[in-house]
Amino acid sequence: MSIPNELINRHPWLPSLKTFYSNFWEKSYEEFIAEIFSKDISNEIAERVLIIFESAFNNLEDIPNKKFDYLNIYVYILLKILLYALNNKTITNRIANLYSKNAYNDLERENSESNLYDICQDLGLRINYYNPPIDYGIKIVKDYREKLKTNFTIHFIDYLRLASNLRDEYRKLTNNPLEDGYVFIQNKTLIRLIQEYVRNKLLIEETEDKASLNAFLQEASRIQRFKDMFDKIESLWDKRKEEFKFSFKIDINSKEEIQTLYPPCVVEILKKAEEGQNLVHHERLFIVWFLLALEYPVENVVDIFSTLPDFDRGKTTYQVEYAKKKNYTPYQCSTLKSLGLCMANKYKDKLCLEGYGSIEPTERKKLKHPLAYVRIKQYRNEKEKFKKNKAKQVLEGSKRQDE
Amino acid sequence: MNDLTYLKRLFQAYYQEEHKNFPVISSFNLREFGVIPWEKKVFMKRHMRFENPKLLRGYLIQDPPRHLYSSGSLYLEPDAREMESKNYQGCDLIVDIDVDHFYTPCKEKHDLWYCKECGAEGTGMPEKCPECKKSKFTKLNWVCNDCLDVAKNEIKKLVNNFLIPDFGISEEDMRIAFSGHRGYHLKVESEELRKLNTDERREIVDYLTGNNISFELLGLTERSKEIFGLIKENRGWSQKIMNKIEKILEKPKEQIETLLLDKHLFGFNSNVVNSFLNYKDDFLELITKGKRNIWAIEGFGLTMWKRFLKGIVKQVGVELDEPVSIDIHRLIRYPGSLHGKTGFKTQEISLSELEDFKPLDEKNEKLDPIVFKSKKNLTHKLEVVAEALPITKIKGVEYGLIKKERKSKSLIT
Repeated sequence: MSIPNELINRHPWLPSLKTFYSNFWEKSYEEFIAEIFSKDISNEIAERVLIIFESAFNNLEDIPNKKFDYLNIYVYILLKILLYALNNKTITNRIANLYSKNAYNDLERENSESNLYDICQDLGLRINYYNPPIDYGIKIVKDYREKLKTNFTIHFIDYLRLASNLRDEYRKLTNNPLEDGYVFIQNKTLIRLIQEYVRNKLLIEETEDKASLNAFLQEASRIQRFKDMFDKIESLWDKRKEEFKFSFKIDINSKEEIQTLYPPCVVEILKKAEEGQNLVHHERLFIVWFLLALEYPVENVVDIFSTLPDFDRGKTTYQVEYAKKKNYTPYQCSTLKSLGLCMANKYKDKLCLEGYGSIEPTERKKLKHPLAYVRIKQYRNEKEKFKKNKAKQVLEGSKRQDE
Repeated sequence: MNDLTYLKRLFQAYYQEEHKNFPVISSFNLREFGVIPWEKKVFMKRHMRFENPKLLRGYLIQDPPRHLYSSGSLYLEPDAREMESKNYQGCDLIVDIDVDHFYTPCKEKHDLWYCKECGAEGTGMPEKCPECKKSKFTKLNWVCNDCLDVAKNEIKKLVNNFLIPDFGISEEDMRIAFSGHRGYHLKVESEELRKLNTDERREIVDYLTGNNISFELLGLTERSKEIFGLIKENRGWSQKIMNKIEKILEKPKEQIETLLLDKHLFGFNSNVVNSFLNYKDDFLELITKGKRNIWAIEGFGLTMWKRFLKGIVKQVGVELDEPVSIDIHRLIRYPGSLHGKTGFKTQEISLSELEDFKPLDEKNEKLDPIVFKSKKNLTHKLEVVAEALPITKIKGVEYGLIKKERKSKSLIT
């Protein structure tokens, strides 16, 4: 299917970019940079790229003064090269969050069903388009009545592929109408799924191949204008990075680092926060309730969110304090599983997977709550310490006897 | 000859006789195989591969296992010892419905338990010992027509209420099998479903079971002390729930009362039930007319309505063994193989055959999972080694009840 050129300029993350601008893909990163910075347009491109980084570091939710000409494509590719060159997970996450959020805003502002349809087709999503929109229900509250209509249905496999990581309650398949393999989806929700696609496209893993990276940086640094831009981004980051860091060492009564006692579901969320990845609503609630249940000070809980793209200390403090007052119980394991937040398999955690209480597999009890994980780990650690002390005492006793 | 050798030979004879008709599953050489042998000390042997069905048949005749399994997953190297090295290609969607995992009323008759802590005993499916409140049991679970019917209904519900109408999965892609013991398996073999990861599979499981439904998102809300409920017109789970409520409300009062008092479903007390019954006709009228959705029953606030809806969801959703559908590295019983606990065959059946299929008294020879039958009317002498034999009916003949003094053996004929 052919997609209008103009649409690729607006949304350079579309797969058709490769077909339209196949000459880009034949070039190495170095060649691409050399080509850009030999042209008159280089200043304009560098400026636009810097605006994106500045916006991301300043917690903005949209990219100001964005233009949709063909330079947008260069900006997108250069952005990806810079993320590779910077090799910093936190920066990558912030850029991916901002750029994808911006894609969402662009698509929403466009408000064009035909564009949305073309984009879905280009992304290989199986969708049905209805014009006029079809009814799939009604909302009635008191005197308010609203017919639920949509232009789109999307195949459930494509829906799951894009939505299953989002973990918001309203995106769960169960809470959406599904018929004959297709989910009835509002335009806005469809755009939100596309946002997730864009975010994933920018999430480049940190490279372990430092030699190739250094060789690239060395080569690219020869191009003065690229070097200037790269240095400027690094200096911008240096000024802001302290704000995005949080310390997570805290002792609890026994002076034992609680971190070693955390279940994998908690470790995963903390890891994501540390890397500046966005946390979905349920992840935020769970981590707050969990840490408050362990009597963490409010200030330390708030600090965890300081790395997130939409952090606002005042608001977060108010919310954490409110949660503390309400004394909410953190989600139990079954809820975490359903929300896709259980990480037992990912971390191959023995306690979560095999249970506790007996050596005999058939007699083991299943872990039902992440707080129980902490208690059991604490108990086991204590037991281990006790055993070690006892063994030490026996050893010392026998030594004394020998003497 | 000891008992296990005798049984092993019986299985061997079956595999020898049936080897020409033994079923062949799709993508045979990409599946991992696993067996549980007869030797008591050996657990499951996994990571086996058979290049072709002939080699599997040869193996079964040579060394017939107690249980035979194959993977739902496809691997380029199914015999690699480490999962990471198997070169995973995808996994069929598997649904396991096993009455072991959920309550059926017949369990009160045939599932026995002994508390390991205090020695108490009883029937049914308690979570904790009613005497000492501990949960270490020795269980003796049995099987009967009633619980197998419940399992069959769950499979029918799965196919007719979910997989076909909602997921648009075609009948040709489904393989249904009686497990040979207390349930059924359903496997969906479709290229695109095979690519689903565990998170995506969990979403499907939640949809099939109704786990973590948000009633608020489906429309339940409270405004100015009035409760606004779900609406039948809304497609998806709302419609399923409302259809079920309507069906329940059309039942006679006595039946509704029993349902609402049932602690495995709603667990309401008699005051709440009486209140519900007083308003049931108004509620039914409100639902069927569908113009308004103010749910007003005395004593029913938002929390009570949610409890009611949870009970409805429990009946609408499918009772399935969740980890089986989510885990992509599970093995399931190979069709045509014998179940080491019962000696019954894992029998494949088509959707059209399912309705009349009766595992314990199947008249169609080709579908009959009971393969060991006396050709002549002989009397066999059997020793019951278990502590009890609940009443059971196989091929129209009733066996049991036999209950022995604990830890002793008795002979019956």
